[in-house]
Amino acid sequence: MNTWPAWLRSGRVLLGLGIVALVALIALFAPLLAPNDPNEQNLISTFLPPAWAKGGETVFPLGTDSLGRCVLSRLIYGARIAMTVALVASFGAMLIGAVLAHVAGYFGGWVDWLIGRTVDVWMSFPPVILSLILMVGLGTGLRNVILAIVLVDWTRFCRVLRAEVLVVTRRDYVAAARLIGFSHWRTVTREILPATMPLLITLLSLEMGIAVIVEAILSFVGMSVGATTPAWGQMIADARQYIYDSPWNLVFPILLIFITVLGFNVLGDGLRRTLDVRLTETKRA
Amino acid sequence: MTSILPLVARRILISVVILFVVSALLFCILRLLPVDPAAMSLPPNATLAEIEVKRHEMGLDQPLFRQYLIWLGQVLHGDFGTSIHFRRGVAGLIGSTLPATIELALLAMLIAGTLGIAGGLFMFHVRGTPKEPIADTGSIVLLSLPEFLWGLFFILLFGVALELLPFTGRLSAGFQRPVVTGFLLLDTLLVGRPDMFANALKHMILPAFALGIAFSPTIMRVLRSSLIDVYQEDYIHQVRLRGLSERRILIRHGLKNAILPTLSLMGVQFGFLFGGTLLIEVIYSYPGLGNLMVDAVRNADLPIIQSVGLTYCVVVLTINTVVDSLYVILNPKLRIA
Repeated sequence: MNTWPAWLRSGRVLLGLGIVALVALIALFAPLLAPNDPNEQNLISTFLPPAWAKGGETVFPLGTDSLGRCVLSRLIYGARIAMTVALVASFGAMLIGAVLAHVAGYFGGWVDWLIGRTVDVWMSFPPVILSLILMVGLGTGLRNVILAIVLVDWTRFCRVLRAEVLVVTRRDYVAAARLIGFSHWRTVTREILPATMPLLITLLSLEMGIAVIVEAILSFVGMSVGATTPAWGQMIADARQYIYDSPWNLVFPILLIFITVLGFNVLGDGLRRTLDVRLTETKRA
Repeated sequence: MTSILPLVARRILISVVILFVVSALLFCILRLLPVDPAAMSLPPNATLAEIEVKRHEMGLDQPLFRQYLIWLGQVLHGDFGTSIHFRRGVAGLIGSTLPATIELALLAMLIAGTLGIAGGLFMFHVRGTPKEPIADTGSIVLLSLPEFLWGLFFILLFGVALELLPFTGRLSAGFQRPVVTGFLLLDTLLVGRPDMFANALKHMILPAFALGIAFSPTIMRVLRSSLIDVYQEDYIHQVRLRGLSERRILIRHGLKNAILPTLSLMGVQFGFLFGGTLLIEVIYSYPGLGNLMVDAVRNADLPIIQSVGLTYCVVVLTINTVVDSLYVILNPKLRIA
């Protein structure tokens, strides 16, 4: 009856996609949506509360920060950094992690050993520390934030996917594919990849949420994009200093980061439930 | 018992090898930095010749590999160099901040473990009932809040709005910090000052809870799914036939078998949690390793960044080694070497 694929009928997937799409649209149309220039300072109207609170002004719907900049506009522009990092960095991490995982799991032997030990070395750095150290080495800026996240988080994909590839590679149909003369490349891309794809997509969605958090952390400590580009973490760091002057300024960016990450996590959870073959199999049994 | 020791020894050996690779990696990354450590460790009016002498003194004119060996040699002798910014020995700086971070991490891990196991049992308990979606949604919401957002949220709620708990530093003004072991909670008890102990603990509640709550949902989920796995085993079915109460089955048979994967995950989580202290410390102005690191990053204080980075790795590797060894000791299935 219903011709839609199962994953599109899942409430979780739709909710997650909805949240993510909304934030993405806000980021895309930031110049049209933002009521003010996000960097314009109004030093006579600093720490204004939101428009609905006492003393608020309608010009600044969510109030102003320590330099009298429009909080709503900064949040809207901040979505650009968050979404760019989420999409690009997680794709990069996925690409490196997935390729290495398939190489390691499929070929096994010393290649697997080498990749496994590399992951071990990486995992002995707490992710935040490694990304911070990388940012020190690379220098600040959007491109380097993305690079740092890719270089830190590829292990998340590699570790989990390798185990999956290992299982799939042992299946009979993979051996059969090799027997009828499929090349390694063709076996991996046509026979193994389709089986690992659901896990890969799920991990990708979760990684996007992680990337949003890591960017916020890095910009919180001032090691992300430059000071002239509005970013959520930066707004939080600023508001933390003036917490008694305007607690509102802390509430909004926290809420926005939470909603965005929740969107990615709900999407990932929904995809895992609908795409994971093993999960549907146990339900049927 | 005889087969356990070689396994543990092997694990320790691997960790030591990893540590050497990690230190080399760290050294290489930080050499990308476009600043001259020699110029930075001298007053701004130093002449080029003076900088050149300093460069030679610091070994910066040698090839990268030799520089690494020099640094490694110093580190192995306990010489972590001198901070460019603080003009103090890095070893002393780490020594005075590391205990604070360890204390915070241990308290947070205790909270994460308690919440995680309680939550996991609850999620398992409500499986297949109308309450299940609520528990599921709850765990996703928890999973979406990283430690630093919890930290800020707690500051707003308990610190600013309700004014229940302090949220900066480790002790209220007016207390003179005793130094015996460096671990504040321990020291306040050792010098017989319960009032100061209470004050220090109060300062740790919010940061420790922020960290603990953030790391609990993963533990909950793993405990729940391993309990579900265990309950599909024949032995559970069998003890149920023998007429044991559900409560007894859960504690004596279910939990006993499901706890191992959970403990192993908690070890991995503890490593992440230790990294998570960085931001929590910054948010709560908690004088630990994290604040030292962030200050060093802002000042491009190379000797500190290098050594603190290495310290984090040593702690994480130690935790992982201990947990892996415990896993071997606790799990009889792994003993056949």
